[in-house]
Amino acid sequence: MHKKIMYVCNMANSKLYKGSLTTIILKLLNESEKMYGYEMTQKVKQITKGELNITEGALYPALHKLEAEGLLDVEVKKVDNRLRKYYKLTEKGNKETVSKLEELKDYIKTMETFMNPKLSLE
Amino acid sequence: MKLTQPQIQNLYAFTRQHYVEHYDLQTELVDHLANDIESVWQTQTNLSFEDARDQAFKKFGVFGFMDVLERRQKNMNKRYIKYLWAELKQWFTFPKLITTIAVFLIIYMSLSSVLAKSLLIGFYALICVFVIYKSVLLKRQFKQRKAMSNKKWMLEEIIFKQAGGSAIILLSQLPQFYNFSDNIFSNPYIVLGLSIFSTLFFLWMYISFEIIPNKAEKLLNETYPEFCL
Repeated sequence: MHKKIMYVCNMANSKLYKGSLTTIILKLLNESEKMYGYEMTQKVKQITKGELNITEGALYPALHKLEAEGLLDVEVKKVDNRLRKYYKLTEKGNKETVSKLEELKDYIKTMETFMNPKLSLE
Repeated sequence: MKLTQPQIQNLYAFTRQHYVEHYDLQTELVDHLANDIESVWQTQTNLSFEDARDQAFKKFGVFGFMDVLERRQKNMNKRYIKYLWAELKQWFTFPKLITTIAVFLIIYMSLSSVLAKSLLIGFYALICVFVIYKSVLLKRQFKQRKAMSNKKWMLEEIIFKQAGGSAIILLSQLPQFYNFSDNIFSNPYIVLGLSIFSTLFFLWMYISFEIIPNKAEKLLNETYPEFCL
C-alpha cells in the first residue's frame, strides 16, 4: 500500500496527479466536517509526509469548480482578524465522493494488474 | 506570530495589485497568504512581512493569481447561467406559463399578418431600446453599489455589467432584418421557428435585465456567505 501512495506522490506534477485532485479534495472533506484551502494543502503534505504537494494555483480552481457544480457548500467565519472560507460536502458531493473513490480504486487495481501481470495470474 | 490588521489590509492591496479586483476572491487569497506567512514565521522568525508575503505568493507559480482568477470567472459565469436557467424554467410552469403562451401567440399572430416584417423589426427594435436603457441603468446602479460598500463581487459584476452581453451582439445584427424577403413569412415553419426564438429571446432579455438584477441581493447572499458580514 505504501508503495502505491509513493507512486502517486512521485507523479506529483503529472497528468495522473491532476486527474486525482478532485478525488483528493472530496476524500479530505469526507473525513472532516469542513476545511479551508490552506488547511487542505497542509493536510495532504502531512498525510503523504511531504511527498505530495498540492499547488495553490491548482487547488482553488478545483475548489471553485466543485462549488459551482454544487458538490461543495461554503461557509465564511471570522477567524483572528480576517475572514476564512470553509468548504464542506453537499449531499450531492457525498454521493460523488463515493463514486469517485470507487473509480480511483478500480483504476489503481487495473493499473496494478497491468504493472504486475504475473502476480494477478497467481 | 499573528498578522496585524494593517498587514491584512496590505494583503488585500497586494491582491488588487495582482489584478484580483473582486472582494470574494481577494478574501480567500488573503487568508491563504496570511496562513502561509504565519506558518513561515514559525520557523523563520526574523523574516520580514514583505519577504514572507512574496515567498507565499511565489507558490502560486509564474502566472501568480491569474489562473485562479480566470477559472473563478469561468465558474462564476456557469453559476450565473444556472440562475438564468432556473428562472427561465419557471416561465414554462404555471402560472407564468400563461404569460409565455400569450407572448408567443402575440408574436406568432404578428408574424402571420401582412405586416410581419415591419412588426418583427419593431419587436426587436423595442427590445434593443430596452436593453440599452437597462444596461446604462444597471451600470450606474453597479457604480453606486461599489461606491457605497467599497467592495466588488464577481457575481454582482456579471449581473449588473455583463447581463445579456451576447444578446447585444445579436441585436447589432438588427439592420440585417431589412434584407429579409417578405416571402419567408409565407412559410409556416419559418414563422413558427421565428416565433419560438423571439419568445425565448424576449424572456431571456427580461430575465437578465429585469428579474435577476432585482433578485441580486438574494442571489449574492446565496452565493457569498460573507456578503452579509
